[in-house]
Amino acid sequence: MNLATLFTPARLNWLGLFARLTLGGVIFVAGALKVTTPYKSAAAMRAYELLPISIANFFGYALPWFEVGLGALLILGVATRLSAFFAGSLMIIFILAIASAWARGLSIDCGCFGGGGQVAPGETKYLQEILRDVGLTLLAVYLYWRPQTKWALEPGSR
Amino acid sequence: MVNNKGKSSGDPITRWLVIGMVALVVVVGAGISIFNNTSKKAAVLPSAASVKDGYGIVFNDGLTPVIDVWEDFQCPSCKAFESTNGAAIKALVVEKKAKVVFHPLSFLGPESVYAANGAACASDQGKFLEFYEIMYANQPAENSGAWSNEGVIATAAAAGVTGPEFEACVNKGKYADWVGNVGSEGSKQSINSTPTVLINGKEIDRASGAYYSSSEFMKLLTAAGVK
Repeated sequence: MNLATLFTPARLNWLGLFARLTLGGVIFVAGALKVTTPYKSAAAMRAYELLPISIANFFGYALPWFEVGLGALLILGVATRLSAFFAGSLMIIFILAIASAWARGLSIDCGCFGGGGQVAPGETKYLQEILRDVGLTLLAVYLYWRPQTKWALEPGSR
Repeated sequence: MVNNKGKSSGDPITRWLVIGMVALVVVVGAGISIFNNTSKKAAVLPSAASVKDGYGIVFNDGLTPVIDVWEDFQCPSCKAFESTNGAAIKALVVEKKAKVVFHPLSFLGPESVYAANGAACASDQGKFLEFYEIMYANQPAENSGAWSNEGVIATAAAAGVTGPEFEACVNKGKYADWVGNVGSEGSKQSINSTPTVLINGKEIDRASGAYYSSSEFMKLLTAAGVK
């Protein structure tokens, strides 16, 4: 059995659908959980201590909406390659930010799905958070490489 | 599988229509979030609030030390802090041993806003502390519907915070913009979790255990000069 017969275009389209819905679904839900609590989202952003306070606040308010939009495009299957590029970039930024918090010895929740801010030193979940984001990055890379997927609103998605 | 042979790769109208709509939602949503979290100069302030103290409700202005209390009425850790140290803070106010500034945050959702607005209304009646105490003592589950304006009025009534003026103030959300300003000030001062208590501008170290130990908390107050 060779790979060309195993990974037929039809099967790859199904795999693409799985990647789109998983990546888009996670990002959409993560954004939707935070849009109603912008204060908390800004606090979670500040807790990384990476950006000046006013800039962290700006991203804290804006990022959840960006995630909702990006997730929606992936779920709908429109501009899949472009969305995958942004989603992958976002995940890499998240991974770097979480790794940096870990390396600096901060005790924070990533605030990925709401929540965030300081937690007790024993309650950090940096490794799980990074592994999850690495998995999502792989899905984004796949979609960037092959944006054609099943049931996309824009079938020849670029 | 749909056969796309007849079509060009992708439908530009669908593509740009969807991208346009999504972009609009994102820009409008983010714009509203940013606007709502920006201080509104026109906000009506409760009489005890002070702009220079971060819009907080101020007791014993001029005294030292200065204790800033940042809490959300719906936050369970704040309830725990209040049941441990609420009495000590109340004593600071009543016995005039420190300047105490209360900053009711509202990041846990709409019911936090109703509660914080209610606190400002109670403050105008000279019953802020009574309100504070009864609300934490009766804290419901987050956004369970218990703290609608009616719920806030009913809870406050149990502590004798009543009257048509108070009720009207709660019902029309008179201080909702002020609540927003307190939150925006909290963002500026990087208050990242609740409760956050500052003594003379210095945040109490969470590792000290003072938030949930009255003896540790008293030690810090004594060190700050409270007799």
